[in-house]
Amino acid sequence: MIKNIFKMMYLVAGVFAAITVSSCDDGLEELNRDPDAYSEVIPEYLFTKAQLSAVDISYFGTAALTIGGSMQQLATYKEVPAAGDKYFNDAYSKGYFTGGYSAINEIEEVIRAVSEDPEDVNKLSAARIWRAYIFHHLTDLYGDVPYTEAGRGGSDGIYTPKYDEQSFIYNDMLNELEEAINAFDPTKGTFGTADLLYDGNVDQWKKFAYSLMLRLGMRLTEIDEGSAQEWVEKAIAGGVIVEDEANAYIEYVDGSQVTSRNPIARGLMNGDYIDPQSVENVEGGKLAKTFIDHLKETGDPRLNVISVVWVETGTGVFVADTTTAIQKGMPNAEFNNRPADFPTYSEPNPETILAYDSPLFVMTNAEVNLLLAEADIRGWYGGDAQVHYEEAVRAGMKLWSLYGSAGNISDQRIQTYLAENPFNTGGSFEEKMDQIQTQKWVSLFIVDQYEIFANWRRTGYPDLVPVNYPGNLTGGKIPTRFVLPDSEGTINAANFQEAVDRQGEGNTFLSRVWWDRD
Amino acid sequence: MNKLILTLFLCFPFIGNSSEISLELVNPTLKEVISKIEDKSEFKFAYGDDIKTESKISGKFSFQNKNVISVLAEFSKRSPFTFSLFGNNIAIVADTLYDDRKIKQSIIQQIINGTVINENGIPLPSVTVQEKGTNNGTLTDFDGNFTLEVSSSESTLVFSYIGMLPVERTVGGSTTINVQLQEDAQSLDEVVITALGIAREKKALAYSVSEVKGNEFTKSRETNVANALTGKIAGVNATGLATGPGGSSRVIIRGNGSLSGNNQPLYVVNGMPIDNSIPGGGSSTGGQGINVDRGDGIAGINPDDIESISVLKGGAAAALYGSRAANGVILVTTKSGTAQKGIGVQISSNITFDTPSMFPDYQYEYGAGANGRKPLNAAEAIEWGRLSFGAPMDGTMVVQFDGIERPYSPVYVKDNIKNFYRTGTNLVNTVALTGGSEAINYRLSLSNLDSKSVVPNSSFNRKTANLSVNGNLGKKLSVEAVVQYNLEDANNRPGTGYADYNAAWGTHLVSNTVDVRNMAPGYYEDGRELLWNPVNIANNPYWVVNKYQNSDTKNRFIGQMNIQYDILENFNIRGSVSRDFYNFEYEGIVPSYTAFRPEGSYESLKADVSETNLMLTANYNTKFFEDFSLSVLVGGNQQKNENNSTAINGAQFTIPEFYSYTNLATLTTSPRNLTTGINSLFGSADFGYKGLAYLTVTGRQDWFSTLSPESNSIFYPSIGGSFLLSQAVQLPTTINYVKFRGSWAQVGGGAPDPYLINQTYSIVQGGHNGRPVQELSSNLVTNPNLRPLTSTTYEVGVDVQLLDNRLGMDLTFYDRTTTDDIVQTDISTASGYNSALLNVGELTNKGVELLLKGSPIRTTDFSWNSSYNVAYNKSEIIALAGDLNTIQVGSGIGGGSIQNVVGRPYGTIWGYKKATNNNGETIFDPNSGYELRSEVMELGEGVAPLIMGFTNEFIYKNLSLNILLDGKFGNDIYSNLHQYSHRFGLTKETLLGRENGLPLSGVDLQGNPYERVVPVEELDTYYDNEKRYTDLFVTDGSFIKLRQVVLSYNLPVNDFNFVKLQSASISLVGRNLAILLKHTDLFDPESSYTSGNAQGLEAFGVPRTRSYGIDISVNF
Repeated sequence: MIKNIFKMMYLVAGVFAAITVSSCDDGLEELNRDPDAYSEVIPEYLFTKAQLSAVDISYFGTAALTIGGSMQQLATYKEVPAAGDKYFNDAYSKGYFTGGYSAINEIEEVIRAVSEDPEDVNKLSAARIWRAYIFHHLTDLYGDVPYTEAGRGGSDGIYTPKYDEQSFIYNDMLNELEEAINAFDPTKGTFGTADLLYDGNVDQWKKFAYSLMLRLGMRLTEIDEGSAQEWVEKAIAGGVIVEDEANAYIEYVDGSQVTSRNPIARGLMNGDYIDPQSVENVEGGKLAKTFIDHLKETGDPRLNVISVVWVETGTGVFVADTTTAIQKGMPNAEFNNRPADFPTYSEPNPETILAYDSPLFVMTNAEVNLLLAEADIRGWYGGDAQVHYEEAVRAGMKLWSLYGSAGNISDQRIQTYLAENPFNTGGSFEEKMDQIQTQKWVSLFIVDQYEIFANWRRTGYPDLVPVNYPGNLTGGKIPTRFVLPDSEGTINAANFQEAVDRQGEGNTFLSRVWWDRD
Repeated sequence: MNKLILTLFLCFPFIGNSSEISLELVNPTLKEVISKIEDKSEFKFAYGDDIKTESKISGKFSFQNKNVISVLAEFSKRSPFTFSLFGNNIAIVADTLYDDRKIKQSIIQQIINGTVINENGIPLPSVTVQEKGTNNGTLTDFDGNFTLEVSSSESTLVFSYIGMLPVERTVGGSTTINVQLQEDAQSLDEVVITALGIAREKKALAYSVSEVKGNEFTKSRETNVANALTGKIAGVNATGLATGPGGSSRVIIRGNGSLSGNNQPLYVVNGMPIDNSIPGGGSSTGGQGINVDRGDGIAGINPDDIESISVLKGGAAAALYGSRAANGVILVTTKSGTAQKGIGVQISSNITFDTPSMFPDYQYEYGAGANGRKPLNAAEAIEWGRLSFGAPMDGTMVVQFDGIERPYSPVYVKDNIKNFYRTGTNLVNTVALTGGSEAINYRLSLSNLDSKSVVPNSSFNRKTANLSVNGNLGKKLSVEAVVQYNLEDANNRPGTGYADYNAAWGTHLVSNTVDVRNMAPGYYEDGRELLWNPVNIANNPYWVVNKYQNSDTKNRFIGQMNIQYDILENFNIRGSVSRDFYNFEYEGIVPSYTAFRPEGSYESLKADVSETNLMLTANYNTKFFEDFSLSVLVGGNQQKNENNSTAINGAQFTIPEFYSYTNLATLTTSPRNLTTGINSLFGSADFGYKGLAYLTVTGRQDWFSTLSPESNSIFYPSIGGSFLLSQAVQLPTTINYVKFRGSWAQVGGGAPDPYLINQTYSIVQGGHNGRPVQELSSNLVTNPNLRPLTSTTYEVGVDVQLLDNRLGMDLTFYDRTTTDDIVQTDISTASGYNSALLNVGELTNKGVELLLKGSPIRTTDFSWNSSYNVAYNKSEIIALAGDLNTIQVGSGIGGGSIQNVVGRPYGTIWGYKKATNNNGETIFDPNSGYELRSEVMELGEGVAPLIMGFTNEFIYKNLSLNILLDGKFGNDIYSNLHQYSHRFGLTKETLLGRENGLPLSGVDLQGNPYERVVPVEELDTYYDNEKRYTDLFVTDGSFIKLRQVVLSYNLPVNDFNFVKLQSASISLVGRNLAILLKHTDLFDPESSYTSGNAQGLEAFGVPRTRSYGIDISVNF
């Protein structure tokens, strides 16, 4: 018996030994390494991603349906996608938030990775400027948003970031731009070709940053004219984008990878125009009457670049026709049924706007010249408003040539346009403002819908007549703020509620951001 | 008891203990008998002081290679002793009635032969066959055969066997009497399978274990056997999804224990875990595209192969299985071969038919249209294709979406559903061969399941082959091997969730004057999808079933091998290797010319998934100080899970209708290589005292690969005891059995998925214009500081048997607390991430389970057995991390989210109401004229706290009728179907205001009275806007269902002498026959469409079906 017990203990020990030697935590750590991923950031590669992410954020729902509709450049006969067309559905405006902060997170990762080594100062500056660029979209759309605590879920474990007041955010963005510009050092390295805007060119980055400063400074004209003037003057003195070569844009290809295709074209195609037969656009979308009428009335040559009507040339064979005479915009909020003449309304041009290999503009010579013209009529700048206006028109038309040959507009047509639509040098300040801002509305169509929306809220131009569709959410007022996603109300409830209460009108289309006064 | 000549207690497994011996003895003493048999066999005798071992047994005994059972029977006949076989132990009991049975019957008139089999047709050896009222009796031999001389044709034979219900038969004129014995569920000495496949007496268990026999799954079938657990076991909440045949199940034992992780139990087959994953992940609540349920791992088990299913509910029961057992363990024991003469053949066929059984209750007063009028032309009819805000139905001819005029009269959704869906069929054929000798035996089964869904063109086929071999290689070495091969083929699994691939969307939402059949075949002559409504993503259901394609194939191999070496009689070591491996290929196609995606899209997945376990255990049993027994087990396990897959996704078929991924304009290939491992050491010790008190302690240490090396290990113990009051003291005779039990156990767990400790960075495929692009691999905040979670369970219970064991009760209270739960929680996306992985907070589940069993009637010809189980589980989120008050578990289509909120039960439904002021008046926003929406608030509970099942079985001679009712109570459902049908004017609630407009009144934002009338022209917009008020679509989800009815007839096989039938039965079966109680008018309360944690959401599942059919089973 005793012998047996000894035998047993011996064997049990053997079993344990056998298992312990081969197991416990040996080799377990190895199992937990993903063979398909890097374990650290390569700042260049992630910076490229941050650039791509920032301009690829739920474009169709926000820029097209919500802004394009309410700015009366796009229209739909349907109700569900009638976010901006009929002020009917606020859901589409919620989508930008999450995508925006995802881009913020990427640029924050880049900033952390290039903050250590002073040799990386140019990378750091470019990244800081890019961060300001992403944030200004977020705050312009939503007002008070998480800023100081945003994008710190991974690094600092902040899962419910507080909302900062927009006044603070604007001040900080402008300071960031200034600091980043001043920190550039031409002797140090750059992101090089990983930088999709300028291949790391420091001078161009400075121009971009000053142009952004100009845009943001001018945004403050209603709320704090003194600051506005100060920043506008500073930006102009620093040197802004005043030549086509300095345009900030990203190139895309019509490749087999979805992410290498222009997100604007992708959004519009998938969202509405993928079936080039005009009988049944997915979301019932067309170009809007207000916009097309304006282009036709002013004889704007961009009409033929932007707009087509699909003409049936044989059974089931449709051809995109750019002829001016047949271009026709669909009235906003006019229908809740597909009108019988639906195919005869104008749509975006498949050769330019809908081409997957079209460029995506971040900041253009056209916009900057319009800002300079405004600065001039405000007396903040000793330039010539007419010159800048005309340069803006020229640049705004020429940029379409980057979309390919279908976007080419001849110098002669530009001259004709300017001759027929001369700068109103003798007009009042408001008349000049109307002309400059309306020109921005045209020049930035597709190029930058977010800026069109912000600029309209600030200046009130173009002077759009709101629609009043039965059952709309705003009582017939054009939306003035995007609606924060419901998830913020549940997950980040306290901070969300504080911000909503601060801004008034609840979390609705009718609420206004800080810089937007009546 | 006085009728028993010999009582043999069966211990599992029986076969290993029946050895043959040869003996020559003349007038031996009992002592001599004992020592001879102990010498010649592995049996040991045990007896009390009252047994006089010097007693002589008169007679000359001579046995040549006779079974010990038979040998003992002979001694018993001639002595005042009975022998009870118990594993390798034989208990000797004094037979006080010996004198009576010495009286021989003087006249022998008739010789009766026969065979006794069990429910599965397996011959039963050692069944007592006795002439009623006499001491004349015998035992069946090894093949279940017996021969007995009886005194007259008036005699009645009583067949009894421990663990089986006794059967009585009148002799009459027959000379052959064959009998099939049924399991007695109330058997006191039931042996159940517990952790690691160890068979233990139920009375020694410190926790609640419930066992369901395999035959309960075979007659009335579910394709996924886990769904068949519904209503059968107290505390087990099993739900089949509304995703059709081949779909997954959700089984929750004693509430949800993890805030966001897996809450389903661990499935263990024959002692080794299997993989229960769903290839490519399950269907999600918010999913779009080809969001299908591809079936979980347990769905691959063929009910015909199941011997029994044990459910280990508590932590103590599961402690030996480690982390994954925190949610309980479902132990499946598959059938194995038996030693017998010749080959046993079992053939079973089961065919059932499914028809949709639930139809929304819509309004049929106002027809298709909007603004109170009928459509005037086809374009308008399409535009209003889903709206029923038209004119009063008047039977006039009105144009429809296809330009054809039809009467403006009701087309009931019931008819649309019946016309669109077909009768589903499920055909299962299984052949099983069993056989073997005492050295080696086997069972081979082949099965084919052919299932046609009610959704047209959707089918599922499962072929299984299961081979089980047991062998004794010499005296000390035994081996067991089970291999199973499955080939599963699914074609066009039905889409679930949002509109674009869900045929239920159109069939349930078309206007109430439009016949869905007019949408067939779903496309125009030129091949494009035929439009019937303005929203392209809301598909034509015929297009979906005729043109969309998805198919998957799963090749699954489960192999298990055990080798046991008995070093000593009471000491063995056992090594096990098991591997559950499957190879999965899936392809899904959104076809060219789909209205929403005219250029089509493509997705595919190829995956190799495996779980491998290596286990080594050592077992030691002993007795000491006479009354104490001890059993010790130590062991180690190494587990490795691998999931390697490649997903190909793309869009735009360059050449229309050529569906190969080589023909795609965009293409992304995504590899995923996931590996996890857990290493473990464990041990347990069981102490017993005199068969009346038991104590079990266990301990286990796990090391997890998914955690940082600094904190990847946890030790967790358990302790439990049971006390048999009925053994310890004399109780009134009406009380047969009383057992108290209690246990405390901890189970630790690691993170479920790999690579979640540190953020990694992936390469964006293709880069950007030649530049490399890196991105964060996940939008989940990784966490290097994760530590194992702990689940702690207390459990106390009592088992009582009363009134000659005709009434039984099993009552359990438990308290299960999860601390440091590893939770993936949604966080503010402004953090830069969507979710974070945290050790957060605390979650409790407290509950009570009651099982009542009774046999109100038990006569010769008729018996009635009844079983009722009820369980109440109260869950509460005690704490979350830091400033988080809520964790979002999931969200429904169209709003409504499932949240875990501090202080509230698991999985509450959250959403919005119409805002009211303190006086209860509705507040209106004058800008829009709509009711102001409240802040987000709790609207209901997603998980039913109270569940019950009620089974009644009536047996009359060869006929039996089994009826199962089950119910769930106290939960709510947010219904997307309700929301949409409301928006479109299909629900009766939307009849308000149809004639003269809808008057609204309340207050404005300043509190001043506000009134307006919504004109008839704007009713569609008004009711559409109501989609924002979630609570309008939250309904009580309680129900009682007539779940199962089985009417069986056991054929009197003796009458068919021309074939050697052992048994045959034919059954009429029905499942989900009726809903006896519900509060939902529009949908079946069991309409969940995900097996994930977001329960309490409904969204156009595959219609729930009623199924009925026939099951035939024959044994040769």
